[in-house]
Amino acid sequence: MTPEVMQPPPHSKRVQAWVYAIMNPIIESLRREAFFLAKGNITWQSDTRRCEYIRPIREYFQYSQWPNYEDFVADALNPGFREKFEEHDRGLSKVESSAAEFADGLMRSDLFRKQVKDALERYQSTARTNPQYPYLNDVPEGSLARAMAALLVNRMDVLPPHYGTHKFWEVYKKDFEPYRDRPSFQAVTKATDALREDSSKVLLELENHRQSLCRTYDIPAAPIPTDKSRSTDAFNV
Amino acid sequence: MPSTFETEHRRELLILDTGPIRELVLFHAVDEYGFEGLRRSLEYIFNRDSYARCSKFIGSFRNKTTSGSVVAELNYWIRKAEITGQERLWNRVYEEFREMRMDEEVVKLLEMDRGQVTAFGPVDVSLLEIARRNGNLSPLVLTVDRPFYRECLRAGLRVQLLQNLAPMERDLGGE
Repeated sequence: MTPEVMQPPPHSKRVQAWVYAIMNPIIESLRREAFFLAKGNITWQSDTRRCEYIRPIREYFQYSQWPNYEDFVADALNPGFREKFEEHDRGLSKVESSAAEFADGLMRSDLFRKQVKDALERYQSTARTNPQYPYLNDVPEGSLARAMAALLVNRMDVLPPHYGTHKFWEVYKKDFEPYRDRPSFQAVTKATDALREDSSKVLLELENHRQSLCRTYDIPAAPIPTDKSRSTDAFNV
Repeated sequence: MPSTFETEHRRELLILDTGPIRELVLFHAVDEYGFEGLRRSLEYIFNRDSYARCSKFIGSFRNKTTSGSVVAELNYWIRKAEITGQERLWNRVYEEFREMRMDEEVVKLLEMDRGQVTAFGPVDVSLLEIARRNGNLSPLVLTVDRPFYRECLRAGLRVQLLQNLAPMERDLGGE
């Protein structure tokens, strides 16, 4: 005998858990992804070889909410989200691996490394007489080249003036930008564009689905603050 | 009024207290990374103009340092402020330290004056000690804490409040 499918009742706590603990943090995070991806800044870090602020979906909500996530993706009321999230994560993985491939290619390039070394020598020579140039004397071998590769990956334009490499990037950026013409950077662009498309599609579907759940089960889209409650996470509010 | 030469050559070492680091971390997270929920935690840097002024001022020092006690205080702030965003806030702090090329000095409790520790706490006193150690670099302390600001003045140190940076830049003949 087929078990009877139970529809959640109005004001269902279970649906509230989906909306508050899973959908809301993911929606906020995907909006932030859109913010980054529109600028082409994938926040990729050379040390971790990951995008710092664009993460797999499971990292967008608290680990303690994992059971609610599993319940959300397993329930027939929320069809297709598991696959959509997996697609997002595969897209992110492609972005990260293509970024790493581009950066690794630069680090293997004698031309690139020599260019960074020469630029650093010119910079140091100016820095000795111009106090506006921050010291870069103790930069470990290769670390400036890795930093330049990451700036290229993230399409950084200007760095804040208090950053140590602000002046170096300001002066020599134009010498390094042609490296973005490499096919390996085109792969980064392609993967980033694909992620942006996936991400915005999932975002739209989640927003629509949240609205539908809130209307159907008559629940507010966010918990209403009470004296005993507090914001769960300023990153997600 | 100091000459341009004097002004430039006096900007060798900046010692950062917790407040300015916290503000830089927060504003960048809000403005550059879109973490809007953190905006309400900002106390001194509210817009790009003031961030740019602070950033330029800090960037005008060739060396920046702080104390291990300040890092402990940042930890206290992050634990208190966030439940689930702690990793991301720490990522921002790491990024800020790395990009600023921030040095960090350890000042042992037994090296600090007991009376001062009682009055101001070990964090502020560690910064005073770092300033004393680096006296040859004519250091300047950057803080948001007015009582600590007054104590620095009493100790004969160069000190600046983050919230007063714009007037100071004008006084120094900067932009």
